[in-house]
Amino acid sequence: MNLDFSQMVPYIPFILEGIWVTLKFVIVAIILGSILGTILALFKIGSIKPLRWFADAYTSIFRGTPLILQLMIIYYSIPQLTGYDISPFLSAILAFGLNSSAYISEIIRAGIQAVDKGQMEAAQALGIPYRAMMKDIILPQALKNILPALMNEFITLTKESAIVSTIGYLDLMRRAQVVGSDLFRNFEPLLFVGLIYWCLVMGLTVLGRMFERRLKQSD
Amino acid sequence: MIKVEHLYKKFGSNEVLTDISTDIKKGEVVSIIGPSGSGKSTFLRCLNMLEIPTSGKVIINGQDLTGPKKDVQKIRQGIGMVFQHFHLFPHLTVLENLTYAPMKVKGESKSLAEEKARALLLRVGLAEKEKAYPSSLSGGQKQRVAIARALAMEPELMLFDEPTSALDPEMVKEVLDVMKDLAKSGMTMAVVTHEMGFAREVADRVLFLDHGILVEEGKPLEFFASPKTERARDFLEKVL
Ligand SMILES: Nc1ncnc2c1ncn2[C@@H]1O[C@H](COP(=O)(O)OP(=O)(O)OP(=O)(O)O)[C@@H](O)[C@H]1O
Ligand SMILES: [Mg+2]
Repeated sequence: MNLDFSQMVPYIPFILEGIWVTLKFVIVAIILGSILGTILALFKIGSIKPLRWFADAYTSIFRGTPLILQLMIIYYSIPQLTGYDISPFLSAILAFGLNSSAYISEIIRAGIQAVDKGQMEAAQALGIPYRAMMKDIILPQALKNILPALMNEFITLTKESAIVSTIGYLDLMRRAQVVGSDLFRNFEPLLFVGLIYWCLVMGLTVLGRMFERRLKQSD
Repeated sequence: MIKVEHLYKKFGSNEVLTDISTDIKKGEVVSIIGPSGSGKSTFLRCLNMLEIPTSGKVIINGQDLTGPKKDVQKIRQGIGMVFQHFHLFPHLTVLENLTYAPMKVKGESKSLAEEKARALLLRVGLAEKEKAYPSSLSGGQKQRVAIARALAMEPELMLFDEPTSALDPEMVKEVLDVMKDLAKSGMTMAVVTHEMGFAREVADRVLFLDHGILVEEGKPLEFFASPKTERARDFLEKVL
């Protein structure tokens, strides 16, 4: 076994740039996924049947097919169908945002439904309107159930983000492959980005714990 | 003040309330008693539309709650409800529990809502707890806060669903005392209860439900001394 990291040194800045490239689309995807996911969750718990069906069907499709397939379909079908030459970045945001919104909507729905039904009845009995009840009474309590699961989803998304390398987006993973074929050595660059992914995930985990602790303080 | 006419409620094919008609006058205190599962909670919840009646009418102050054009939220603002398990908002302080709805729903200013909330807390004997969170209160204290929260909306009618059933025995009295005080002040009250003492002493009228049927109603003295129906006699034998 002969590990040699010295040849890799000139490529390190190139790989490190990949951190930002990966984070950029992960963050945008998380924001998109959270907004869509919240809307879908409200559809699911609401009383308007067509919206509920739509949200359920949406979730079923995005959870029932591979993410890499969704990514490919967006990347290849949009130019073919519309003539619009979609960039890898935009495809990645769309695929990951749409996909994670399905998971996030389930997390939020479950978190809201885990809030004691009596809370809603107490609010209704006081004549509090639906929106205010959701915003001020139900969601703050649901957040305690939602946050840990949401953090998990963000971690999964960060790791799964590596599959955007398949459409040529120059993220961390793709950069490791580029360096690997330049050097005719794949193991070292892969190990290096593996360490970076691990650090990113640890960072997210610590952030999540901090949030949770702050939420618990109000108990 | 409240007029209930031929009220029916079904859950699926299960008929829980059958043809209930009664009146509750302004300032009257009515106790609703009956065996478990007889439909007492369901009846109470039909009075503020937490359950939608299958048929029949509930008319409060001339407004038909079951009619086509009704503002349920508006009607509920005038009806306070106290639950067996309190249902205080756990993420808000005691004071915020009392001020949230008056500020949000009635548009009261913060200072006015707080001033009234403090007066109510004084009335239920919990003035020193305004900054506490519900989780730090005893059951009896929670229920008194829940009563104060309902009163903060200045309702004309108060509904109680077994307000003392979830309490340790030594805390029952403090809650009943608050309710007696409220009854004396002229509040119209409908109280589902297992506390026969309360029904006898405080109520102006007792409604006895069994299997969703209003079997008997009358003045507590007469009802407890000489129930007219077999079913009421059986029930009283078991609980007294
Ligand atoms: N949301 C519901 N869906 C289906 N069935 C219900 C629902 N709520 C109540 N029931 C049924 O209606 C019947 C009457 O229930 P209700 O809670 O009104 O009785 P109760 O007299 O208040 O009993 P308890 O003294 O145990 O509180 C019961 O058989 C109950 O199972
Ligand atoms: Mg009940």
